[in-house]
Amino acid sequence: MELEEAPKQNYSEKEKGEIFNQEFLPHIHSMYNFGYRLTLDRDDAKDLVQDTYLKAYRFIESFQKGTNAKAWLFRILKNSFINDYRKKSKEPAKVDYQEVETYYNSEEVDRQITPDLRVESLKDMIGDEISNALNSLDVDFKTVIILCDLEGFKYEEMAKILDIPIGTVRSRLHRARNLLKEKLSEYAKSMGYNKA
Amino acid sequence: MNNPMNPFAKPDQQKPTCMEMLQTILDGQATEEQKQYFKVHMDHCMPCYKSYDLDMSLKQLVQSKCCGGAAPTDLVEKIKQQILQKSS
Repeated sequence: MELEEAPKQNYSEKEKGEIFNQEFLPHIHSMYNFGYRLTLDRDDAKDLVQDTYLKAYRFIESFQKGTNAKAWLFRILKNSFINDYRKKSKEPAKVDYQEVETYYNSEEVDRQITPDLRVESLKDMIGDEISNALNSLDVDFKTVIILCDLEGFKYEEMAKILDIPIGTVRSRLHRARNLLKEKLSEYAKSMGYNKA
Repeated sequence: MNNPMNPFAKPDQQKPTCMEMLQTILDGQATEEQKQYFKVHMDHCMPCYKSYDLDMSLKQLVQSKCCGGAAPTDLVEKIKQQILQKSS
């Protein structure tokens, strides 16, 4: 469960309460937004966040006080979503990441997959389009955008949260952003921004 | 082929791709030396030049439009109650 390999801590009940209130709870809004983006349902997001915090408390001795609580919590939430929530719901089609990542690490990629989207048309989008486009991405792709662009995690932290190498973080992020651009590009065309 | 002066070069001296350089810049993970190198690189790399503005705008839009607001007000209380129940 731990993010870093750290020896088990031995906290008093008072210390546990302090860690929980001062280091875990301040992240509740980010956690709820992450939960909502993953489940796309406010009640499910509440359950997922609640479950995450209960697990965090149960395993609090695996957490070293003063370290990266936010990354630790995000990792627990992501694992809870995969292990508990996603199993209950219908399993989505798997993407062959090895294939995707080999391709996206090739030098051809930047030329081939640049959707026809312009800064001007992006700026005319009012918000729902961006949010809906993000929500519509496959879970693994939207996750990297949320972690990087919304929550500001570094590649190294993302690699630990997601249990993947840094190179994979980079290529998945690149792929995710291109998919997001494709979605927005379709919307921009429908608004009449398809002219060069 | 390899440019030993490229500050984005990997430990194995493999040449970094444009995508890798652009991402490092966009995601705020570049060193000062890498930023300077990329500035010069953009002057003669049209794909990077074009992608930079678009990708930066998209990143900023995602940040401003997808925050999702606050968690429900009763959520913290519910969590605290559950912990109390389980530890009693």
